[in-house]
Amino acid sequence: MGEKKESPQKLGLWQKTILLLGVVGPGLITANIDNDAGGIATYSLTGAHTGYRLLWVLTPITIALVLVQEMSARMGIVSGKGLADLIREKYGLKITFYSLTFLIIADLGNTMAEFAGIASAGEIFGVSKYISVPICSLFVWLLVTKGDYKIVERVFLAGCVVYLSYIVSGFIIGPDWELVATSMFNPDFSSMKRSDMPIIVGLIGTSITPWMQFYIQSAVVEKGTSIKHLWHSKVDVVAGCFLMLVVTIFIILCCAATMFHAGVQITDAKDAALALKPLAGDYSSALFGVGLFNASFFAAALLPLATSYYVCEGMGWESGVDKTFKEAPNFFTIFTALVVIGAALILIPGINLFGILIWSQVLNGVLIPLILLFIVNLCNDPDIMGEYTNGPIYNFICYSIVLVMFVANAAMIYFEIIR
Amino acid sequence: MAIFDQIDDITIHFSQCIGVTIYNEEEQKIGTLNDFFVDYEDVYPQILAIQYKRNKQLFYISWDDVKAFNLQKVVIKTDSFIGRSRTFPKAQTRKVITSLLANQFTGETMEYPALGKIILDKQIVDTYGKKVVRVNDIRLIRTGKTMRVTHAAVGLRAMFRRLGYEPIVDFVVKTLRPKSPYLTKETLINWKYVHAIPNRSMQSSVKLSLSNEDIKGIHPADLADILEDLDTHGRGMIFTSLDPKMAAETLSEVEDEFKANLLKNETTEDAAKIIANMDTDDAADVLSDLSESKKNEIIDKIEDNEIQEEIQELLEYQEDTAGGLMTTEIFEVPPDTPKTKVLSLIRERSEEFETIYDIFVTDKDETLLGICTLHDLLLREEDTEISEIMKSDDIKSLTPDVKWKEIAHFMSKYNLMNVPITGEGNRLLGIVSVDDILPWLLDD
Repeated sequence: MGEKKESPQKLGLWQKTILLLGVVGPGLITANIDNDAGGIATYSLTGAHTGYRLLWVLTPITIALVLVQEMSARMGIVSGKGLADLIREKYGLKITFYSLTFLIIADLGNTMAEFAGIASAGEIFGVSKYISVPICSLFVWLLVTKGDYKIVERVFLAGCVVYLSYIVSGFIIGPDWELVATSMFNPDFSSMKRSDMPIIVGLIGTSITPWMQFYIQSAVVEKGTSIKHLWHSKVDVVAGCFLMLVVTIFIILCCAATMFHAGVQITDAKDAALALKPLAGDYSSALFGVGLFNASFFAAALLPLATSYYVCEGMGWESGVDKTFKEAPNFFTIFTALVVIGAALILIPGINLFGILIWSQVLNGVLIPLILLFIVNLCNDPDIMGEYTNGPIYNFICYSIVLVMFVANAAMIYFEIIR
Repeated sequence: MAIFDQIDDITIHFSQCIGVTIYNEEEQKIGTLNDFFVDYEDVYPQILAIQYKRNKQLFYISWDDVKAFNLQKVVIKTDSFIGRSRTFPKAQTRKVITSLLANQFTGETMEYPALGKIILDKQIVDTYGKKVVRVNDIRLIRTGKTMRVTHAAVGLRAMFRRLGYEPIVDFVVKTLRPKSPYLTKETLINWKYVHAIPNRSMQSSVKLSLSNEDIKGIHPADLADILEDLDTHGRGMIFTSLDPKMAAETLSEVEDEFKANLLKNETTEDAAKIIANMDTDDAADVLSDLSESKKNEIIDKIEDNEIQEEIQELLEYQEDTAGGLMTTEIFEVPPDTPKTKVLSLIRERSEEFETIYDIFVTDKDETLLGICTLHDLLLREEDTEISEIMKSDDIKSLTPDVKWKEIAHFMSKYNLMNVPITGEGNRLLGIVSVDDILPWLLDD
């Protein structure tokens, strides 16, 4: 019954915002959730350390993201089932169990990244992580188990508006647009360095996260979009991905303009705030801190929650925040464990917060091709998709993407670990 | 040589059989066991055939041709008939329809899907526990020369068995807590209560419909919970299979967010029938969530003009006010009705009402003259007219624009089960009863 109680005539500004955000499609929502703490950190680092050099990577990433999310959304609409559900029904318990185990590990990394974001944001305002992280983790836990997760999602999205400040900042800086365009569409591959590999994998991992694919599919299922509106969902996905691309380009651009040329190396979140200086001047740190805190805090709530949902879905356990612990013990255990362990690891003295932000995204990048294989394979199963399976060209592109991702991963592992 | 010579246990698990190598009598390898075909018409289905995989292709062999069966090796007759199909053609012999398969038996043979394909790892409805569960394993028992399906295993232990960790986990649990229920009691669902959920891919082969007695025996509130746990496809299939009355009762119980979608899947005619069977206040709630055009189409198709008008009136009011909450199905009688007549009316018309606590006495213009509680009515002489029993002064009533919270306070203050809602000239419009208010209180 929730929000419907308000009468439509006398809507306050707050209700109007909620109503508007309710209309926004799952594609747009998912793309926004993409710009969480790990995302901001990775983009900032890319700009600061490589300048415009790696901008071209964003084009194939966006194409891949559009294709992947379109497939997930299409599967959700056609089958009416979540991704974990489909993986379980097609590949059986064993494969599901091990995939979900890996995903829990990756998502623990992501949850840590969100708490690292909270800690970093706190440090900008001079709050020690030993205060900010425990308080926020407790608050996150209460918000999800006792509060309303839909509200959490919407507040989070509203807070994402802060990222638009990168776009404004970008225009104030007024970078060399020609150079930006060249880096984007006609890059000089000979300038690539070995140290670029983890950044590329991180960029892939932060843009196309494994958990997002589960998230968008269940969002579509929950929305109950009918097959007639398949086309709408495609528009929604493309719009969402495009929005994400624009924000990403501007974050990299701002960081490149303010830090790369000055030779600043990003080691913590304070440095990353420099990118907003042209817009906010001395308040850039505060603006960045607020944005980072919002993204981190709400993603720290949504991510463990989504993880618990899809693990329970795949394993066939009871789930739902409206259930009691006794009714859905596995669900609450997974959620609580992710929050508690994620927060506790951040409290280890001397741990490199920014390092966690980046490396958790690299871990995502390593896992995503595996999930993609599931998605492409499921999307080709006529038992599931009926007449809505992928066409041959679509498949060719998808498999090429998976292949490129595997190559990128292999290259990174080779350069980082073996040499 | 008996077929099960090398199996000691009487129970066999589906997961243990899968992947066992199949040989013919000349020791040539035929393939690996992939699935079973069973007689879905049985309460405890008997194995009819085995499905095997060879070079990624699926074949079936009748159980009659199986010479030996154990968990290491299956031997079949050398010259047995091999069918090349993913399904098994089952000749129709009996007409017993059980819980699993419903009434689609029309042709001479039926193409049966394999057991694991439709049950293992899938969600099923446990009609005894009244919930949706996922099947981790299937339990079979040896019966003479054949096997029968007895249970669906849904617990943790079956999960560990599938993963191959059962011996390790069993050992750990035995050492730590020898008396743990994990070791003695496996979570099983008796096959009698197993309901396969219709699946998109199954439409072409066998329709595993749930339109049978078991599902009808489930209380609408429980069925609503089950529907909420299903995927959209299964939810729609089950809902469509319900008769309008059951569908109406279930729809009232389903969470609001699912209501509109469930109704959208129905044809306009069916939707109108379901709406007509609902209490008018619930019906108005559901309709108000639909698009304007769909809503009007459905209302137009409602055959009963009285219900049609009432719903239209209710739709005018805000959802959280007395007008939106009230039901227009009121038990009202003229003042000169004798007690005996009132009682017989109650008996005749009880079907129409959510609850009857009070009898509302109105004149020809529907003006509320008085209220008579059931309690007062029962205590009086048989030949008394209702106007003598009813309470006519200081009637506690409200207007349709009052918000739900005020109604709740009002009812609590005067200890009312129902509040009459009156319009201009004390005309009785409807009643709001306690159970219309409760969900709002719980949600607040």
